[in-house]
Amino acid sequence: MMDPELDRNHTIKTIGGLVAVLLVFLILPLFLPVGWLSLVNEMIILALAACGLNLMLGYAGMVSFGPAGLYAVGAYTTALILYYTEIPFGLALIAGPVSAAIASVIIGWFCVRLTHVYFALLTLAFAQIIHTIVFEWYGFTKGDDGIVGIRVPAFLDSITNYYYFSLIIVCICLALMWMIVNSPFGKILQALRENPERTKFIGIHVRLYQLSAFVISSFFLGAAGSLFCGFNKNVFPNYAHWMKSTEMLVVCLLGGVYSFLGPVVGSIIYILLDKVISSFTQYWPLVLGLVVLALLLFLKGGIVGFISEKITASRESRGKGERNV
Amino acid sequence: MTLQGLIIQLLSGISTGMVIFLIAVGLSLVFGTLQVLNLAHAAFYMLGAYLCFWISSILSQVTGAFWWALFLAPLGVAIFGGLVEVLLLRRIYDREHLDQYLLTFALILIIGDLCKLAWGVDFNMVPTPWPFNGPVIWGKIIFPRYNLFLILCGPVVFVGLWALIRYTRLGKIIRAMTYNREMANALGTNVPLIYTVVFMLGCWLAGLGGALVSPMSSVMPGMDMVILIECFIIVVIGGLGSLPGAFLGSLIFGLVNAFGILVAPRLAIAFAFILMIIVLIVRPWGLMGKPE
Amino acid sequence: MKGMFSVKGISKSFGGLLAVNDVTFHLESGELSSIIGPNGAGKTTLFNLLTGDLKPEAGEILFKDKDITGLPPHRICRMGIGRSFQRTNIFPRLSVFDNVQVAVMSWERKCRNIFLKARNMNKKETEEILDSVGLGDKKGMTAGLLAHGDQRRLEIGIALGSYPELLLLDEPTAGMSPEESNKTVELIQRLAREKDLTLLFIEHDMSVVFGISEKIRVMHLGSIIAEGRLEEIRANDEVQRIYLAEER
Repeated sequence: MMDPELDRNHTIKTIGGLVAVLLVFLILPLFLPVGWLSLVNEMIILALAACGLNLMLGYAGMVSFGPAGLYAVGAYTTALILYYTEIPFGLALIAGPVSAAIASVIIGWFCVRLTHVYFALLTLAFAQIIHTIVFEWYGFTKGDDGIVGIRVPAFLDSITNYYYFSLIIVCICLALMWMIVNSPFGKILQALRENPERTKFIGIHVRLYQLSAFVISSFFLGAAGSLFCGFNKNVFPNYAHWMKSTEMLVVCLLGGVYSFLGPVVGSIIYILLDKVISSFTQYWPLVLGLVVLALLLFLKGGIVGFISEKITASRESRGKGERNV
Repeated sequence: MTLQGLIIQLLSGISTGMVIFLIAVGLSLVFGTLQVLNLAHAAFYMLGAYLCFWISSILSQVTGAFWWALFLAPLGVAIFGGLVEVLLLRRIYDREHLDQYLLTFALILIIGDLCKLAWGVDFNMVPTPWPFNGPVIWGKIIFPRYNLFLILCGPVVFVGLWALIRYTRLGKIIRAMTYNREMANALGTNVPLIYTVVFMLGCWLAGLGGALVSPMSSVMPGMDMVILIECFIIVVIGGLGSLPGAFLGSLIFGLVNAFGILVAPRLAIAFAFILMIIVLIVRPWGLMGKPE
Repeated sequence: MKGMFSVKGISKSFGGLLAVNDVTFHLESGELSSIIGPNGAGKTTLFNLLTGDLKPEAGEILFKDKDITGLPPHRICRMGIGRSFQRTNIFPRLSVFDNVQVAVMSWERKCRNIFLKARNMNKKETEEILDSVGLGDKKGMTAGLLAHGDQRRLEIGIALGSYPELLLLDEPTAGMSPEESNKTVELIQRLAREKDLTLLFIEHDMSVVFGISEKIRVMHLGSIIAEGRLEEIRANDEVQRIYLAEER
């Protein structure tokens, strides 16, 4: 597996694959009707949110029930800036993830002192507080009415243009995440997931690294929120609702939490399933529930996990099986 | 605020607390013994309410229809819960926590839609049963009789469960498992069977809660979501796995809610969350739970 | 001459039970010694106290004349004290290479970096450590899939990744067959020589203890009741009594 020749081939194939996928995304607007293009736009923004969550979830092993809270912080920051001030769109957009990161420093500081179910419940509680604040503070956030008609610069006002804009931002964010995940910091996060006890004893201040993971994750969640705010041109309190949080968790599970692109695959499939199934029946939740059950019981690594197992199995049987345990 | 008003708020808070106790205690029990946070607990509660509605409308010509329904509905939920445990939950006990949460979450979706399929999306009413329909009037205080009944049910269920845990063999096993699972296993208890029994008990309690609540609020889709978060708050405050904790936590929740509404009606719900956050920060195992 | 590692009057109790009771001992640099004792004697608790996982209620711990009492584990690691565990404590889903690499990267303080590629970082050092514990040819394997004996060796490898001067080994041969135990003992002896380590271990397996340690300390009910060379301990009546009683 550490054979450099095989490695190089593998890398070339992977890069080739990625370029091909990117090209597909680039030319989609040429033949997709705007309704579908809008859907793909939603997919890639959800993919960004899910990948952000997965930094915490799949890499650092921290199960959060409240990612939607930080997502909404990003969305509402951008929306409120654009609604109340004349600050240009670009700055408002950047303010989203930044404020999500700042909020997450405080929230995370409390949360990382707990583990497992208590950590999850505390993140949920904070997300619900955010939801309540946004819902009740009618004077500032317009409560349940939400903020609608958010101003977007003219050149981004068309579906095609915002699609390309989203694609660029998401690709930049994914590239950043890829860099982080493959850095020494990223490896330590994985060690934390595998064995936080042991990680202490190799000289790592566990809470500090977990807080960092929380903050970085929240930055990208906030970015997704801001991006979606511009996409939908509105924000509502349910952006912070725990149903949205669960949606993100399901997307990660669907694609596979132990791979980088798993959440991307998951979000594509999730939104496709949602739209397709919803057009047939109003019982989309039932179908989703059954799908999640099937995944949990039969496809443990998510779809990407399943596929990569098959690939590894076929590669090993093709002639590299010399090592014995 | 008059004295009468305060007393009504107090009673209201207590009755809310007792209602939520009936629902949340099963969640706490299941977590304490199985170490699984059953997100679908609220869905079982809803199922109980629906079954109660259904059975009492089928038997509407029979006297005491509601009481029959109250007897049968939780049994139905318990049986369903038993099936779920054996067929689904058993496979994920040794998996990561995330898998467990997602499985129980999937159950919320499935049970919710199954209820919709069976009984439609409209809201349904269960008439308040005799002899608890109508208000109690005491001077200037007017309070629904059924709510008083619910206030009584809380301690009754509490005492019943407490007796079960303290005096029966099952109870001893539950206590042993809550404190030290490996030990209980080593002592030769049939752990899978116990898990099924406890889970069924938890579902029975949830169904009972749903059935008892059904005359008070409409039975409709989405009633589980409202309750679920409140259940979390209570079991966190009281301590996951602790029976007296669930009781205490429910009372605190009910009272905080009732008086919170007086102080700042729109933020009342936030008070409970803030309390939850404070508990998690200061004493994560809750007021009466055991520290890890 | 002052010892390298000094433990003075360390105590720790859990809810009224005195698990470690006024323990005092000193380690010289380069010493290979062990702590033995029946189950429940407090050996692992002592280790936890020495590595910062628990805070002592009384007493002090000095390492090379620096007071390390009460420091958290990650700071103690940086001072040069490493540890392996009784129950295998590795990173199961990471590769064998990664398991040791993270320890090395942490030691070299590279872990806050989010910009560099980690893949081949400290490759030479990591491979050197893997070779020294005999896992060089398995570096690509997933750690969780290793045989038990190999996992125990990886345990030691991870501890070595922090370039310790003092290594605390908690039952390194736990669960091993006699041949594996012997191999592990040889490995540990070789490592101690090559890397100039001071070793302190907890062991149950008497052949390991007698084979490797120059000095043996016996713990019972939280205290050190005997300390000395092999022959002295063998001849000690009280020690015999405790072990005979345990065998019953």
